Amino acid sequence: MSDTLLWYTTRAAGAVSLVMLSAVVVLGILSTLRVQSPNWPRFLTTGLHRNLALLTLVFLGLHIVTAVVDPFTHLGWLAAVVPFSSYYRTFWLGLGTIAFLLLLAIVATSLVRGFLGHGAWRAIHWLTYAAWPVAVLHGFGTGTDGWSFWLLVLAWACIIAVGVAAAYRFMSGPRDPLASARTAFRADVNRREGE
Amino acid sequence: MSRLRLLAGRDITSGAEDFTEHVRRLGAQPAAGPALIETIVRSGLTGRGGASFPVGLKWKSVAAHSHGSAVVVVNGAEGEPHSKKDRMLMTTRPHLILDGAFLAAHSVRARQVVLYIGEEHEAARNAMLRALAERRPNERKITRVLGAPPRYVAGDSSAVVHLVNAGIATPMTTPPSPHERGVEGGPTLVQNVESLAHAALIARHGDAWYRSAGRRGAAGTLLVTVAGGVSGPGVHEIEAGTTVAEAVEMAGGVTEPARAVLIGGYFGSWVPAEHAWDLPLDSAMLRERGLSIGCGVVGILHHSSCVVCETAGIMRYLAAESSAQCGPCFFGLRALADACSRVAERGTNPDDMHRLHRWAIDVRGRGACHHPDGAVTFLQSALKSFPDDFAHHPAHWRGQGRQTPAGRAQGAHLDE
Repeated sequence: MSDTLLWYTTRAAGAVSLVMLSAVVVLGILSTLRVQSPNWPRFLTTGLHRNLALLTLVFLGLHIVTAVVDPFTHLGWLAAVVPFSSYYRTFWLGLGTIAFLLLLAIVATSLVRGFLGHGAWRAIHWLTYAAWPVAVLHGFGTGTDGWSFWLLVLAWACIIAVGVAAAYRFMSGPRDPLASARTAFRADVNRREGE
Repeated sequence: MSRLRLLAGRDITSGAEDFTEHVRRLGAQPAAGPALIETIVRSGLTGRGGASFPVGLKWKSVAAHSHGSAVVVVNGAEGEPHSKKDRMLMTTRPHLILDGAFLAAHSVRARQVVLYIGEEHEAARNAMLRALAERRPNERKITRVLGAPPRYVAGDSSAVVHLVNAGIATPMTTPPSPHERGVEGGPTLVQNVESLAHAALIARHGDAWYRSAGRRGAAGTLLVTVAGGVSGPGVHEIEAGTTVAEAVEMAGGVTEPARAVLIGGYFGSWVPAEHAWDLPLDSAMLRERGLSIGCGVVGILHHSSCVVCETAGIMRYLAAESSAQCGPCFFGLRALADACSRVAERGTNPDDMHRLHRWAIDVRGRGACHHPDGAVTFLQSALKSFPDDFAHHPAHWRGQGRQTPAGRAQGAHLDE
């Protein structure tokens, strides 16, 4: 594979990862709200959220692998897992490493949620709100295309989408119908002594 | 009333068999231990709570992890709306169940036995408590009694464990399964009351004796509840491999020509009546045919009833019984029940039919427990067995089912 091709692949896979990750975040936020219709009940949102998240990892993997094996940059594998260990744009690339590790933790804990319990899984899942902006900053700072028109349009579209969804989520408060149904059901089958 | 082994002895309408009578009829409780586990493995006895898991293998697994920390849970929750066999067995033959429970406890070296009995099954609970009072002090000492909340999922083995550990009868994610890590962290044998009663008889008479009953190549006996459109609905003990037609005959036969038969309860399947009569009632033989014996319910639906409306009512009930822990179960079953209700209420429409087929696939396997899987198995059996009824359903709705005092839909009712 020619070096140029690797370099193009890294950049393209990075951009695709950013768009997909933003879509995953938006879907995740929507799935905690009453976003549904007769044609699209809520469980489909969570299914899409999960499947798209796994697919995002594939593109993220491509982004990282092509960057590391590119002989022009010779970043080394360490840079992919240890933040700020790269000689090349140390700070901005380190942000990418941090976002990658956070996403790995979020996906891994989701896959073994059964062993973890809901509370621990949820706490780690909140890290998404840290991982996503770090990934966006990494894109602006590291990217060869950081200030090119097409990436700016893409990135700002992502920022606006996530921003609107997050704002809507925080304004609508904790009115998750699943949580209230769960509370009601648990109260009905609660046989704790003294209650 | 057919009574072969579990229900042999005094007439079942004359109340519980007491300890003296039980011992006179069957002899004292035999020895327990590794040899008994092997005997039960060889008998091929399968669990009677719904999952048909081999009883001997479960005992073996719990014994292997036990080191004296195991717990035996006697599961008499019986939350399945049409099933009556567990409460009937507890009411009439409590000592057979307790024998099985203490034999299991000795065999797996358990430190505790929990009697888990449905709160609404008052007669059964009283009979079990009276029987427990007649047992030896060393048995009474290790036994505690807990009530199962009257909800469908409360009988799930992980829900039992959650109730004992945390006081809340909702299913938990498995693994670890209760027989690896359950009550207070110890390996926990959750066993249906009928399975334990069979184990008590196998301990006395041996595995060859157990297999000597059974027809058409099946082994043993089982309790079934024949429900719906028969003259004498109720519980019968039948030889495994007895056909649906023969079981219905024991229940006095159908009162009107039948349209459909529900095999296995609400996690089971609808079968068109003409294909159902010759089905052998046995867990292995039904599994070969893509069906399940479940908890032994055989429900007869009359020709004058509407299978689409019945299905809608049962889906509504199952959706309401989701413990709302997993989104796909809570929202998915609700969406499926809504689509099915719209077909029942307003008539067939292509959108809802498409949704029923597609979403049933999307929901499967997406819950921590098997509640969503059981519900879509049932729905898919209806779609597969009665495609014409669903394709040409007129706009009628025969009511949303009875409401309990709490206002909870009780599901559709096979005409009784």
